[in-house]
Amino acid sequence: MRAARLLAGLYPPAVRERWGQDLCREVQATGLRSWPDTLAGAARLWFHPADWPETSTGQTRRVLTVTLFVIASATVLLLRTGSPAVTVTTDIGHPLTSLWLAPLLVGTVLATPLPPLRIAALCRLLVVMVRLLAVPVAQVGILFVLARNGILARATGWVDAALTLYYWLTLASVALCLCMLVARVVRAAAAPAARRLSAALLYLGGGLALAAGQRLLAVICGAAGFGVIVQTVMLGLLAAMALSTGQDLRKKAAPAG
Amino acid sequence: MHSNNAQMLVLTVLADGPLHGYAINTAIESLSGTKLGPGSLYGALSRLETHGLIRPADEANDPGQRHRTMQITDAGRNLLRTELQQMARVSSAGLHALGVDPA
Repeated sequence: MRAARLLAGLYPPAVRERWGQDLCREVQATGLRSWPDTLAGAARLWFHPADWPETSTGQTRRVLTVTLFVIASATVLLLRTGSPAVTVTTDIGHPLTSLWLAPLLVGTVLATPLPPLRIAALCRLLVVMVRLLAVPVAQVGILFVLARNGILARATGWVDAALTLYYWLTLASVALCLCMLVARVVRAAAAPAARRLSAALLYLGGGLALAAGQRLLAVICGAAGFGVIVQTVMLGLLAAMALSTGQDLRKKAAPAG
Repeated sequence: MHSNNAQMLVLTVLADGPLHGYAINTAIESLSGTKLGPGSLYGALSRLETHGLIRPADEANDPGQRHRTMQITDAGRNLLRTELQQMARVSSAGLHALGVDPA
């Protein structure tokens, strides 16, 4: 039952709310052989938000806004996993190889939900923000102190391993809390309009496709190891997801205006 | 199974009368000899409902209720009729080309 619930949990929220219980029962009744089809069904639906039934107004846009930030966070974490490549940089000094960052940032800015301009609502959001970001800010602060004191550079053996683990936990914690914050803000504020969100996803996907292409260049030139190949594939998948979702949302938004 | 095929199968069995998810799959098994996987079935139901081709049999039903009985809409019937007529033409032409009498 736990596996069936987990698989049903992979579906977009609107589909889960509508069909989650039936889906769970069907997976449980069919067993292990239904897992590939269930996973493929979830992936197909994530790529096609126009097929999601809306169980509340603006639900699709809210979910896609959070998804966009999850993709952006995953990209940052993914790029941190490998050693920097000369073909993909994040440096103003190398504008050509850092070009991929521009559409990614434009997409992120376009999708940023604007908080409601009411004092009471802003105060509530501020409280939520402090609660959510207190831990990651403290974690980053500790990391900063460790780096400033040279402890990170001098560490060896298990201390080095523990500090590396701490570094990754901090990055993951920051990414998770920022996505949770976006989810809370988008619930209280008006979610970006479908056209704006679609453009945001297409910009993000464009930036990711560019980054994947630049990484591929390093692979073709033979200046990359297995890690970079995996990174390239993952970036390509994230790009495909953002582009397909953006395109599908644009089709859904088109008849409305 | 291809998602369009899954949608056509769901529409075909619902053309006979309202059914819930599990019963839809049982009817599909009787019709085609194979059940749809959960991802194909509920993906098709989600798409068809979103595009107004099927709807809950009782509009007052709670979306989170245990078994949601679905029925085909007029738009769903029209689409099914068009698709089946097209398939019949293709089927007839194919059988004729093979020298098989469609009747």
